[in-house]
Amino acid sequence: MVQFFLESDRVAEFVTHLMKRKPVYAPHRKGRKSYSFERTRDAAGVVLDYPRVMQSVKKFFLPPREQLLSFDLGDNTCRAGEVEPLDAIFLGVHSYDLAAVGRLDHNFSEGRAERNYLTRRQGALWVGVSYEPDEYHFAGSVGIDPYDTEGFDIFLTRLLDGYVLEVLTPAGESLLEGFDLPAHEAGKPAKKHFQQHIYVPQDRLNEVMSASYNNPVWEETALGCVGCGTCNLVCPTCYCFNVEENVDITVTKGSRDRHWDGCMLREFSEVAGGEVFRETLAARQRHRVMRKFKYISEKTGQPWCVGCGRCTAYCTAGISIVNIVNRCISDYEKSTVSAIR
Amino acid sequence: MAQKPRVAIFDFTGCEGCELNQLNFEDQLLDILAHVDIVEWREAMDDRPGEYDIAFVEGSLSTPDCIKRIHEIRRRAKVLVAVGACAVQGGINGMKNIRPIEQVREEVYGEDKYLFPTLPALPLRAVVKVDHEVRGCPMTQIEFLKVFTALVMGKEPIEPTSSVCTECKLKENECVFTKGMICLGPVTRAGCDAHCPTFGQYCTGCRGLVPEPNLEGMKEILVEHGLSVQEAWKRLQLYNAVELEGVRS
Repeated sequence: MVQFFLESDRVAEFVTHLMKRKPVYAPHRKGRKSYSFERTRDAAGVVLDYPRVMQSVKKFFLPPREQLLSFDLGDNTCRAGEVEPLDAIFLGVHSYDLAAVGRLDHNFSEGRAERNYLTRRQGALWVGVSYEPDEYHFAGSVGIDPYDTEGFDIFLTRLLDGYVLEVLTPAGESLLEGFDLPAHEAGKPAKKHFQQHIYVPQDRLNEVMSASYNNPVWEETALGCVGCGTCNLVCPTCYCFNVEENVDITVTKGSRDRHWDGCMLREFSEVAGGEVFRETLAARQRHRVMRKFKYISEKTGQPWCVGCGRCTAYCTAGISIVNIVNRCISDYEKSTVSAIR
Repeated sequence: MAQKPRVAIFDFTGCEGCELNQLNFEDQLLDILAHVDIVEWREAMDDRPGEYDIAFVEGSLSTPDCIKRIHEIRRRAKVLVAVGACAVQGGINGMKNIRPIEQVREEVYGEDKYLFPTLPALPLRAVVKVDHEVRGCPMTQIEFLKVFTALVMGKEPIEPTSSVCTECKLKENECVFTKGMICLGPVTRAGCDAHCPTFGQYCTGCRGLVPEPNLEGMKEILVEHGLSVQEAWKRLQLYNAVELEGVRS
């Protein structure tokens, strides 16, 4: 592994160098207090020191809205939407967000492979950056360190006045060609501390959640939850979508479109005939959390939550997924103690 | 080709903004007219033949005469579509219902009040069967086109029940609460593509409440962001007084 030192003052120069190679997508300021991954047009606009973006890089591979096919009765044709690999550099990605992409790769490859997602996923190069855990991050509890370099081609670890730049793959090495950097011999900075924790090791979460189906926490959480769906729609590992057909006003042309959907929404579980099979907010909350810590993880051996903290940070009602899981843990521990007695 | 569906457009108590929004379909108006014959529209034309397949109705019902007219319209229409917040959920007019009706009448008409009989403002569905709804204040144009197209094709229009938050998230709008403003998006029906938050405003709730809204939860959110309980309730009442307060006589 080769390590270099990238001074803070040279970050824009580094971004400009990358932009000459391929299109660059990176975090930029958005609104008053937010950040968003956007196509970089001006290297000076890239922000590498950011707590989180509302939408992870998932949005580039599974767009929030996308046309699957279009049809025209005029010439009786039907065409699938054009999808191309995203031959680009994703710069400034946090380790939990790349881990989430890995989980989505599994979801969309398993069974019948999902053409659009998997086509877009080809060709991306990853330049990661470490982050300072804030009051919402808990990635450490699901085994993802802020310095985790897994899957990255280049990784930037933030120091006081610059970054340790690690080259991790041949692709990463070729990205750096023509950009001179001093070698960096020193080690990495001290381990980052998370402010939020899930209080059991991740390999015990299945066991805890299996025992939590009838926990009162679901009803209690539902008192404050308004079912707006935000938690689903900012989650980097949520991949549910709805498909609808739209016909334009000429009634000769139309399209089949899909958009992100979420299990917290009432209409998500509404089926033909008007039956809603998760009628209450409590049932929907339980389903959401079980999808992250039991239903999928039972099959894959990994939590389907990456600890980014988005569902809590953006929850309009201030509901914390960490508090819900810890409550399940605490009740489970109490029940096992009394069973021993 | 079969005869084109005959369409009639009516208005009750409201600002006529929804009708204006129908006239404002500059790019689509000719396409709309290709599918239907508009046979009655007070705001846009003179003659009144009086038979029609689809009635688009704007405004709430707030006088005895309104009640008589809406029954007549319902009798003559195969399909009745409520258009805009006043017609769908009573809208802003519903705030009239929060106070005693006689007091409101006196305040507005003074000593001539006996010339103007008045009723609590009602959404159309309180009086007649409504087949479809186009929500919003003014009515959401994209939704009108969807409902219209579905009716022309003889299909059931899909009317969204999820929150405005979903549309903000899909557009990655900075959350209105993050900006330090108050927003009713979490309990307000989607379908407008989060029009107001997208352009820097907050959601005032014009499209009505989601089905089975958690009102206590929403009040708590608003109080958490600095409103008093009374202020929070008033915000929710703006477009939803009829649903929240019922109707006083």
